[in-house]
Amino acid sequence: MAAPLTLLLIVAVTIRAALFRSSLAELIAERVEVVSPITAWKRVVEGLALLDLGVSPYSGDVFHETPLIIYMFHFLVDYAEITFMVSLNKNIILKHFVVEFRKQKFALEADRYPMDSLELIRSPKEMYYIPLKVAMFYLLNPFTILSCVAKSTCGLNNAVLALFFLSTIKGNVLLSAIFLCLATYQSIYPITLCAPAMLYFMQRQYIPVNFRRVSFWWFIVQYLFMYLGSLFVLICLSFFLLGSWDYLPSVYGFILSVPDLTPNIGLFWYFFAEMFEHFRLFFLCVFQINVFFYTIPLSIKLKEHPVFLMFMQLAVISIFKSYPTVGDVALYLAFLPVWSHLHRFLRNIFLVSCVLLACSVLFPVLWHLWIYAGSANSNFYYAITLLFNVAQILLVSDYFYAFLRREHHLTNGLYLKRKDGSEATLILK
Amino acid sequence: MLALLMLNILAYMTPNPDKTQIIIHLLSVISQNSAGQFFSSGHTNNWAVLVCTSRFWFNYRHVANTLSVYRSVKRLGIPDSHIVLMLADDMACNHRNPKPATVFSHKNMELNVYGDDVEVDYRGYEVTVENFLRVLTGRLPPSTPRSKRLLSDDRSNILIYLTGHGGNGFLKFQDSEEISNVELADAFEQMWQKRRYNELLFIIDTCQGASMYERFYSPNIMALASSQVGEDSLSHQPDLAIGVHLMDRYTFYMLEFLEDIHPASKTNMNDLFKVCPKSQCVSTPGHRTDLFLRDPGSVLITDFFGSVRKVELTMDAINLTDPIKQMEENPVNGEEQKEVYSYADQLPVSEIIHQKPKQKDWHPPDGFILGLWTLILLVFFKTYGIKHLKHIF
Repeated sequence: MAAPLTLLLIVAVTIRAALFRSSLAELIAERVEVVSPITAWKRVVEGLALLDLGVSPYSGDVFHETPLIIYMFHFLVDYAEITFMVSLNKNIILKHFVVEFRKQKFALEADRYPMDSLELIRSPKEMYYIPLKVAMFYLLNPFTILSCVAKSTCGLNNAVLALFFLSTIKGNVLLSAIFLCLATYQSIYPITLCAPAMLYFMQRQYIPVNFRRVSFWWFIVQYLFMYLGSLFVLICLSFFLLGSWDYLPSVYGFILSVPDLTPNIGLFWYFFAEMFEHFRLFFLCVFQINVFFYTIPLSIKLKEHPVFLMFMQLAVISIFKSYPTVGDVALYLAFLPVWSHLHRFLRNIFLVSCVLLACSVLFPVLWHLWIYAGSANSNFYYAITLLFNVAQILLVSDYFYAFLRREHHLTNGLYLKRKDGSEATLILK
Repeated sequence: MLALLMLNILAYMTPNPDKTQIIIHLLSVISQNSAGQFFSSGHTNNWAVLVCTSRFWFNYRHVANTLSVYRSVKRLGIPDSHIVLMLADDMACNHRNPKPATVFSHKNMELNVYGDDVEVDYRGYEVTVENFLRVLTGRLPPSTPRSKRLLSDDRSNILIYLTGHGGNGFLKFQDSEEISNVELADAFEQMWQKRRYNELLFIIDTCQGASMYERFYSPNIMALASSQVGEDSLSHQPDLAIGVHLMDRYTFYMLEFLEDIHPASKTNMNDLFKVCPKSQCVSTPGHRTDLFLRDPGSVLITDFFGSVRKVELTMDAINLTDPIKQMEENPVNGEEQKEVYSYADQLPVSEIIHQKPKQKDWHPPDGFILGLWTLILLVFFKTYGIKHLKHIF
């Protein structure tokens, strides 16, 4: 396992190094699909330069990173490329481990199911290559390559999230709370990952998920205490970096109130560009609640499968966050091989993959037509954005359907029969 | 003038050549003094920019206002080549005009201000804020004809007359855009900096017109307005045959006042300030003279409204002093001292661009570093157990 992984790493690093040195690096660093006002490297450099001139980097609308990033890049700004590649590789290794630990879970479940659904269960042999596939999906994904070459801090966010996954799956409650807190500190949306993390730990510690049990509530209180405590500590610590609370409106206010309407691959910009001021607050609340809203129904449905819930949450965050970039998309796309056993139940995979490919190609084309050639307008670009997001949503819902169907088959057998013995088909209503 | 005449008569009466010499000498001295007097008012040419900013038939009175001032100005001597007339709509040939080819300023059709010789330079949709400002500042494309340019110089007195619908701080152009008092003040400042005027008289007849001259800050501007901030300028009287109001009150009374002026009048600005008191105008006309260097009482109406050329006859040649003086020859040294001039840096460039290692560097505060690493260490040991501590100590 080590040898193919090393090979993959070398290939990935070579590609990225080659792109870093070429002239494409500046081109990619400016593309709006790859960088957003929160993650752009140009803004990080501007913020550090402002700091050297004695001005707070949060004055004005330039810099929207957290103070910890300031601290980190203060020392690493000359080695930025290496930092990003290192974080990337760390990401991979973490995912690798994550997947290995997932394998164990399946072994637990094997004896619970009726015989004919055994073919649905994966054997360890099949699962042997999954970590490698995950690593490949992440490292060689053009989205990640673009994101890394653009030096967008999305890579760092992804690394923290991967650390969170690793610590959750390994069972370390404190570390998981701390990494989740770091991820939330960077961008607010990972707070929804609290629910799957808690569910996973409760499953591991055999605490039944029952509202009337004291142990359930006690665990929740413990986890939330650790999480909120570390968040509080982090925020206070960030205050001491620059001695002011300026960063709160600049980072969190910016993410939540979406003042910057530069086009990106998300859904916020077009809608808010054309909206009247009177309704802005209302729709802002609607859009933001949309991100957090899916947690509750999903956790209720998937309370026995917290890892899949984590994947779904991640996907929902990447699609509905206020400034998505392709780096966020790449993160959850990398986890797809973990659920390769669901492929036989996926219904729209061809459509989704075609649409995603086509949209990825059309993004720069329509951008050029709109901004440079002037023969298109923003509606063209927005249409492709919409299509891209619809394809992502279709992908996620397809996997959800496949997962649920597999669960159904596991409990009820693979070849379903009606009462009179003829073959039955399963319809999703 | 009288002295000159007398001296002339005296010169012819005395046949003595010596006396003639003295008299000629005296004459030349007096001529030199009147040469000074000749240029005492400071301007050598007059220009007028007359703008009507409203369109539509019911704004007939604004066009009539502008044309009345045009008529007065032309009558008092400013030629068409020195008048820039901007009318936003055509009232004389408007299909609602029952008397085509005429624009009347008084009921009973006493005065047709649209004669045979009206030359409109900017008409219809050409009257925009941009064109107006370009005319004032002179930034016109090279293809603009002379009739559309304000070719004033630093010895020009310019009359600027604006009329239309306005408000507190703005004037509406063509029902679609506005010019603000700040823009106007900046345009005048540009004119001053480019030496495009000697003195400027600004008259505005709109609602709340005084707000338009509040922001002027360039020297040598005198401003008059038909109403103060918060007041509306009212129209004079409607004509039942034509169906609209013909003139605004302020311009109507100003026209009456100007009809009495002829090129040799000595009427001064203080009389113009008294035109249209509140009893006649209902609004309170205002004026602003703090930026004007001369006393308004010494400013003639014809300094702005007319183009009075001073002509003085003289029978004798005037000896002009040689203006070209020989420069002192500098002794040629072995090394020539040259003062090297350079521009002062607007920005402290050398401090901003780091040409050497950064002088001021920002370091994170020590408390922060301490706190952060303590936390990291705490988490590390909590995760991996205290036993690792013994490897450190």
